Amino acid sequence: MKNNVKLARIKRSMTQQELADRVGVTRQTIGLIEKGEYNPSLKLCVAIAKELNKTLDELFWEVESD
Amino acid sequence: MRTWLAFLLPKDEYKRNRIIYFFAEGGILLFLSLIIMIVIHNFITLPVELVMLIAVVVFSFYVFGRYIFSGIEYADVATEKAYKKEIKNILVKTSIFLLLFFIGTIMIIGLPSSIHNWFDTLFLAILTGFLWFITSFVSLKRSYKKNKELL
Repeated sequence: MKNNVKLARIKRSMTQQELADRVGVTRQTIGLIEKGEYNPSLKLCVAIAKELNKTLDELFWEVESD
Repeated sequence: MRTWLAFLLPKDEYKRNRIIYFFAEGGILLFLSLIIMIVIHNFITLPVELVMLIAVVVFSFYVFGRYIFSGIEYADVATEKAYKKEIKNILVKTSIFLLLFFIGTIMIIGLPSSIHNWFDTLFLAILTGFLWFITSFVSLKRSYKKNKELL
């Protein structure tokens, strides 16, 4: 699933490890989410959104281009 | 989710999900191997010990093998510095394991009475330690490769 986690994380000058520590997962999990290779649970999506100060829509909602 | 399996599972949700799949796949393979052995048993009488050994080996080797090769064990190792540090950790852990295994063997079966027995005990300890090191090293290598691609 495509998402904006990487973009939002970089905008907040946060490393993968920092975000991982804050939401209680490993760096690998954050990397996989950013690459769209792992779909996180709703609980983890909410935790990431809170840490990055974004809404779920802004991070995970897929918008189809025309 | 409440399960008695929770004590075997890590906190990280990706790792936890993968391990649950490994257990499930291992369980299905175990079930299939038992079915095959029931069919074979109609033609050849299989010793009970062999059937039990095959069942244990199929499940444990599959689950352990998948875990090692999946590259999820060292989830935070993504830099060369961390990789080298982890190799040192593995060497230290292997040495401690080797020593404890050797002491444990002597405590259980007693001091070897001849040079031949000493050789056997040492060989078993070194072989087990070597297997421990190799599996840890392969797991680290796979994890490092996977993590580098995710940076």
